[in-house]
Amino acid sequence: MEIEIISFGKISEFISNQKITIDCGTTDELKTHLENIFPHLAGMKYKLALNKNLVQQNSELKNSDSIAIMPPFSGG
Amino acid sequence: MNTERYQRQIILGGFGIESQQRLTEAKVLVIGAGGLGCPALQYLVAAGVGCIGIADHDVVELSNLQRQVLFGMDDIGLSKVEVAAKRLQQMNPETELILHPILINRTNIIEIISGYDLIFDGTDNFESRYLINDACVLLKKPLVFAAVSGFEGQIAIFNVANEFVISTNYRDLFPVQPVANEIPNCAENGVLGVLPGIIGTMAAGEVIKLLTKIGKPLINKLLHYNLLSQEQYEINISPSDDYQKVTTEAELMNNNIENPIQSYIEIDAERMMELSKKDSTLIIDVRERHEFPRLNAKTFQQVPMSEFDRFASSNIEADHIVLLCQHGIRSVAAAEKLHQRYGDKKRIYSLKGGIAKWRNHFFNLLV
Repeated sequence: MEIEIISFGKISEFISNQKITIDCGTTDELKTHLENIFPHLAGMKYKLALNKNLVQQNSELKNSDSIAIMPPFSGG
Repeated sequence: MNTERYQRQIILGGFGIESQQRLTEAKVLVIGAGGLGCPALQYLVAAGVGCIGIADHDVVELSNLQRQVLFGMDDIGLSKVEVAAKRLQQMNPETELILHPILINRTNIIEIISGYDLIFDGTDNFESRYLINDACVLLKKPLVFAAVSGFEGQIAIFNVANEFVISTNYRDLFPVQPVANEIPNCAENGVLGVLPGIIGTMAAGEVIKLLTKIGKPLINKLLHYNLLSQEQYEINISPSDDYQKVTTEAELMNNNIENPIQSYIEIDAERMMELSKKDSTLIIDVRERHEFPRLNAKTFQQVPMSEFDRFASSNIEADHIVLLCQHGIRSVAAAEKLHQRYGDKKRIYSLKGGIAKWRNHFFNLLV
């Protein structure tokens, strides 16, 4: 299936906004997949949002879902 | 209250004298009189918030002036809080200003924030942000959160219940505080002055909306703003089970916040040297082979991140495994991999700050 990736902050420096084709069925599988293809991500704190809702537990993915990848910001 | 001063907002439909009265009665604490705090303070004072506390321990520096618009050349070296208060008082003598020219820490935060109705976090580091968040959770204080990174900003409102009586806080979003150097700050990363100006002003708008009960404040929502594209992206925050809430002042003061998902321990170089004396300890340098400084291979076994998965799946005999790299970021990723493999069967450590931070400790150990 195809999903849309939207990234923020430092994460957007190595993951650009894009549509990707995946064979992951859940957000946990997607996380592992993303950390494999973007190894920088594995060393960072980040959170996913699925269709603009924060992912707090493993959730099912379906075609044309959007996934936001967000790091914490601290600057002021 | 001088109604002539506030006439332009009082005549707004849906605002009126009642909203103005609510602002006059409010007590707001702005923590951080920097890039976010300056514009927020200007608009909150101008709008007629009755009492505003300003907390910041810094003095004005030349490199602040590009974004901290309350300060000028004559203020360099002076207390930010005192200079800001002088300017703000001149803008609006009706607002009572309370000065806190100190660093907010575990021992003073409860006393300082308990006197206010609403807290604005415009600080510039994770340590302060997590402390402010936890203290606001404990005291059930509404918290307006604003932060920037590069050309982007984040705004959220925490500890305010929505219509379903659900409230969230920063740990629902990011349960574990990032370690030093994991996420760069403005000094390392740079910031265009207008960005905290926009984000600080937007967050001040949220403060005014909350106090006057108008519009739809960002309760349980995180707003992302991108200056370069002028795009906004809003996500809904829901409560998380990945952390324990602080329930007592003693817990907050001792930083006794249990993080069950924390799978490794971050240590300093002295603790690492202590551990290295044990036979059951293995110290692993996860940097790639071309990186400097090179370390003594007898003490520090080299397993580059590019080969780490193979190593992690082999049988490791040591009970204590210390991981290190240049800045303590890759070693955290390696520690998480080992924890996935061994769970709580082994004690896994990461050298916080890496070799760069503890260069002197490594000096005698270099090849």
